[in-house]
Amino acid sequence: MIRKRVLSPEERIPDIPETIFLFRSCTGSMEYPGTENSIKEICKILGVQVVMDPDQTCCSGYLLTCSAYKPEFSLAVTARNLSLAESRKLDVYAFCNGCYGYICELSHIMLHNPDYKKMIDGVIDQLGYKYEGKTRIFHMQELYYRLKDKIVENVKRPLDGLRVGVHYGCHYLARQYGILDEGGYPTFIEEIIEAIGGTPIFYKERQACCGGAVGRGFTHKENVVHAHLYKKFMSAKKENIECIVTVCPGCNTSLDREQPAIMERSGEAINIPIIDIGQMIALTLDVDVQKLGFEANSVSLDSVLNKLGIH
Amino acid sequence: MTRERFRYSEEVDVDVYKLVDNLRSCLACGKCVGNCPVARLTPSYNSRQIIRDVLSGNSDRWLRSEEIWRCLWCANCYTVCPMDINYPLLMLQLRYKAMESGYGMQYIAPFKKFALRAREDGLTFAPGGEKGRARVMRIRSNIGAVPWPEISDKAKAEYKALFDLCGTTKFVEDLDVENPPPLDLAYRKGRIA
Repeated sequence: MIRKRVLSPEERIPDIPETIFLFRSCTGSMEYPGTENSIKEICKILGVQVVMDPDQTCCSGYLLTCSAYKPEFSLAVTARNLSLAESRKLDVYAFCNGCYGYICELSHIMLHNPDYKKMIDGVIDQLGYKYEGKTRIFHMQELYYRLKDKIVENVKRPLDGLRVGVHYGCHYLARQYGILDEGGYPTFIEEIIEAIGGTPIFYKERQACCGGAVGRGFTHKENVVHAHLYKKFMSAKKENIECIVTVCPGCNTSLDREQPAIMERSGEAINIPIIDIGQMIALTLDVDVQKLGFEANSVSLDSVLNKLGIH
Repeated sequence: MTRERFRYSEEVDVDVYKLVDNLRSCLACGKCVGNCPVARLTPSYNSRQIIRDVLSGNSDRWLRSEEIWRCLWCANCYTVCPMDINYPLLMLQLRYKAMESGYGMQYIAPFKKFALRAREDGLTFAPGGEKGRARVMRIRSNIGAVPWPEISDKAKAEYKALFDLCGTTKFVEDLDVENPPPLDLAYRKGRIA
């Protein structure tokens, strides 16, 4: 069977869900709580009910890829978390590329390797859970793209030609099959930006990784991550990009928190504000800026907010 | 008469968890290297060479190396691979294999404290100190959310239980921060941009 790589939004999400199971992200809820809050606000406006389960834990993918967890553990945690959504008969919507990529990958491994499935079933059974693999896993950006027209109808404060660079992150596009765009040259976030009134700008290192994944931000900060991000920021600077939109609070952390150190090391003034796609959409829907938690950002967003006339 | 260019070993010896079943189909086309942001900065990290060495049973030089710890897991290699080889998963396995052989502990030990912290919180990267926790609670309160992420005591207890059931508690505690085993960093000298 030939698997399809790119799906249209209608194929990917045939029916717009009434209720979604929002998968809590650790960075999304602690480093940039505004990202999580913006989703709740947007869904309120779009008429989608958001359910978050207090019993859900971390996806446990990050430290697995840092080699600090045993794979068995992360598989079991994934099975447990997904069984929570399954028991509510809801689809999982992750808003962190990391959570999305890891739960997809780990559930795929379990569902395609009967030996692993059996092993994990034995573990979570002791806690009274059962994972069958019925729940589907989506990324929040897919829902935004699906509901693009509805978002545009509700836009009260268009971006007014703001020069926006997009950072796609890696783990969504790395799925490769059954996603919204081609991993080699995606454009669907640019389409959203254009729809809400911004000017999407293509810069050379658009698809360069944030460098923060798998713990390299701790072990190879100076020699790999900073050098890598410096190139990315310089190419964004060259195109006079006013802010970079991310689709993952993990990328947000890396691009935003590392920026002051890179500026200090290189002596270049970069100062590109980093903003999550959810926060960006919420801004155009005229959600109270207080609820978007921009005080968490290391690089001030004042230049963007001033341009949009928000204070 | 066909000539074998190089001999593959019987089994892909780093595939501890048997996750990359199509590694043998590698065409050695090198698209992965061309798309690798790390190879661009540090050419001594070469995914094509790593796959070739793994397939021909010469993975040992990579297990000892510092290079395998540079991969950012961005999966650009996987995206362009014409044979759909999930290279990031191979990297994960190479790293486990390296640990098994006593190499690379200094690249894992820094995460010991995060892992033990996560075991208590059920969340990765929850700040350990009072100051960090106060900051999270301040920002969350300011946006009108509950001060701490809503994670139930049941979730925390079960997360901890899974840690113990899967042997990860012992695994993490055994990561030795103070005395990392010696590592050959010969590849590293003078190669980093």
